[in-house]
Amino acid sequence: MDKPTMKMRVKEKEGAIWLRALIEHPMETGLRKDKKTDVTIPAHYISDVVVEADGETVFSADWSTSISKNPFLLIKFYGSKGDKVRLTWKDNMGNGDSMEKIVG
Amino acid sequence: MERRHFLKDCAVIGASGVACSTGLLTPGIAFATETDPFQATSVAAALEALGIVDAKISEEIKITAPKIAEDGASVPVVITSLLKGTTEILTIVEKNPKPLAARNKFGKRAISSISSRIKMGQTTDLIAVAKADDKYYMAKTNVKVTLGGCGG
Repeated sequence: MDKPTMKMRVKEKEGAIWLRALIEHPMETGLRKDKKTDVTIPAHYISDVVVEADGETVFSADWSTSISKNPFLLIKFYGSKGDKVRLTWKDNMGNGDSMEKIVG
Repeated sequence: MERRHFLKDCAVIGASGVACSTGLLTPGIAFATETDPFQATSVAAALEALGIVDAKISEEIKITAPKIAEDGASVPVVITSLLKGTTEILTIVEKNPKPLAARNKFGKRAISSISSRIKMGQTTDLIAVAKADDKYYMAKTNVKVTLGGCGG
């Protein structure tokens, strides 16, 4: 199995679910140059993020290169223990990953 | 002075003037054809591409960000909209090469708050635009950046 590209924690707190995620990604702006070769490093960034709880989309985002390297995300939504929460991301080069956790 | 006259003449001739495409007027031309808000190079252009024209300043949008950010490559920002029926929050960094950083959409079950880390190239305003009941509201705050985060 490949090394997971993200860490995710889902926790129930006073009726709301707190989702914390850390995705491993370079988030290249396309403006930086390789110091040795002086060649521009092409933009490489996460463009889509979707969070679903029991199949229902609770959060979706379009990101740009202005989001930091190895993006962090914290969102909250109403739910309860036992909900299945899935986070999916895609980048502009067609890569992506998905992770599912059950709220505990 | 010559250049000034040249520009004036171009304006008279209009978009059809071949002389205009020398590069002096490219920003203007880019504006007109810009449709992807994420590619827009100014706040005004980004908002225009999103069809936002009359965002009112609102106290109900709270931005939590450091007053002084030591590292512009990773500035922690929390944006919370207390407006009822918030479905979207836009994160905009005014002086970044491409100001629109994120477009966050909230489902029915979501609490309209987002925490993330963003890049800031220099000291600038951080703008949050919230969409609630199909109307747009905004708030902004200034962040001093001591070390830029946009590479180069």
